[in-house]
Amino acid sequence: MNGMLKPLAPVLACCGLLLAWQLASLGLKNDSFPTALESLRAIPPILTDKESLINILASLRRMAVGFSLALAFSIPLGLLMGRSRATAAFFNPLLMLIYPVPKAALMPIIMLWLGVGDVSKTLVIFLGVSLPVIYHSFEGAKAVEEKMLWSGAAMGLSPSERLLRIVLPAALPEILTGCRTGLVLALITMVTSEMIARQSGAGNILFNALDMGQYDTVFAMIIIVGAMGICLDAAFEIVRRWLVRWSEPQFDMPLSFS
Amino acid sequence: MGVTPIRPGQLAGVPLGRRAATPIIEIDHVSQVFKTSSRRDHIALSDISLTVGEGAFVSILGPSGCGKSTLLYIVGGFVSPTSGIAKMKGKPITGPGTDRGPVFQEFALFPWKSVLGNVMYGPLQQGMKASKAEALARTLLAMVGLTGFEKFYPKELSGGMKQRVALARTLAYGPEVLLMDEPFGALDAHTRTRLQNDLLDIWERDRKTVLFVTHSVEEAVFLSDKVVMMSRSPGRIREVIDIDLPRPRRREELLLDPNYQRYIVEIERMFDASGDNELPS
Ligand SMILES: Nc1ncnc2c1ncn2[C@@H]1O[C@H](COP(=O)(O)OP(=O)(O)O)[C@@H](O)[C@H]1O
Ligand SMILES: [Mg+2]
Repeated sequence: MNGMLKPLAPVLACCGLLLAWQLASLGLKNDSFPTALESLRAIPPILTDKESLINILASLRRMAVGFSLALAFSIPLGLLMGRSRATAAFFNPLLMLIYPVPKAALMPIIMLWLGVGDVSKTLVIFLGVSLPVIYHSFEGAKAVEEKMLWSGAAMGLSPSERLLRIVLPAALPEILTGCRTGLVLALITMVTSEMIARQSGAGNILFNALDMGQYDTVFAMIIIVGAMGICLDAAFEIVRRWLVRWSEPQFDMPLSFS
Repeated sequence: MGVTPIRPGQLAGVPLGRRAATPIIEIDHVSQVFKTSSRRDHIALSDISLTVGEGAFVSILGPSGCGKSTLLYIVGGFVSPTSGIAKMKGKPITGPGTDRGPVFQEFALFPWKSVLGNVMYGPLQQGMKASKAEALARTLLAMVGLTGFEKFYPKELSGGMKQRVALARTLAYGPEVLLMDEPFGALDAHTRTRLQNDLLDIWERDRKTVLFVTHSVEEAVFLSDKVVMMSRSPGRIREVIDIDLPRPRRREELLLDPNYQRYIVEIERMFDASGDNELPS
């Protein structure tokens, strides 16, 4: 693409989308489909309302906790699975079982056991994030060049040191690819969990507004959640690029918002 | 200048020329069998016995698939033989160790570390202070001709430069034996020649023991005190030839030396006679 146009492209795409929305909504004249302008106007009241902010921050906190716990658990597990056949053989059937189940579908059972509070919602986020991170860490660890590990062994690194100081950095580009997918999934499971266990959070504001027929607020919340996703992803992408600045370009993400 | 005929049939274990070297690596009746999906197992190495004297530059020469790498990996301790035993200074080899430093054809540098970081890795692992390790790494990088590239990442280097870093990285932790597996095999002819010259220069300084795998006859003769010729299916040693050429060796002089030419011709003839003519000249 033309160099001048490239940084403007996302802005243009957004403007185009808003314009199409505005026109479609004006044309349809449906109560449950507010115009883009009405929805945008509903954003500032939400962001200045203390109650709403507390809800949104609670969502973000759960997401951060669920995401961090998932990384702390899944990266070591994936790496171990990638380097040890026995570990892989043990965990694979378990993961195959969990993999196709929509994590939000587990929410009712989890709520039954752990209640509707933070623990349940964080657990669902944790589950949603874990699988892609385990998978990519596993693939990354499996692909580590054997000669690199041998070079480390010849320098006197023990097996656990090799896992931490060779497998982990060598697999980092692949691990971070999994983390990026995990981050988006964290946002998705966060909203879904709040949809099911209505008590607090961004999802709660959204569905309460829906119940009360405040459609401009509904759409405003969709925009806010979407913007949060885009910002988090863009921020993560900056960190990711910096962390793997040493890697060959074939590890670059095929899809990028920045 | 008299042309010394080479003496085929000089077997492993015979002391090298004037230098009656103490053995540093002893390979004793080593065989390696790989399980395959077909009925018959693959015999990669069959009853290999070889002694490498301390300070010797020994090449293992043979067609691809004859088990050269496998033999080197056994000495490195990366692979354990199906039968037989390999010893380093009289002690059975049970695993990798800092006394044996590998240099692989694939370089196997740590891509997340800078050139300097790669070379400092071994010394730091051995507990050397960072400032001392850095000074050592800089000295070694200067020796392999890479001053000015300390801050580069491996991905920014050419193949020849990567192999120079790999050599410096291995030299940095002071192994007694260098195990080089076709280290120049992936490089273009010009770069290969330059690295061969530089390797000999470095070797002349401290005369570390080198076990060098190659499938190039010229490379083996140019570098070595002793060439171990292997044949395949199954992988066996068929001849060990002492290379009695003066040192330090200069390529320009050697190319004019009839003895050098004679070694090459004789070795190629032996490979041809056995039908192992896949060996590139
Ligand atoms: N891990 C392995 N599993 C099965 N077969 C192997 C393995 N490693 C090497 N081989 C086989 O053993 C033979 C010798 O291999 P190698 O030592 O790499 O030969 P060279 O280095 O001389 O080309 C080849 O036929 C190769 O296919
Ligand atoms: Mg090989």
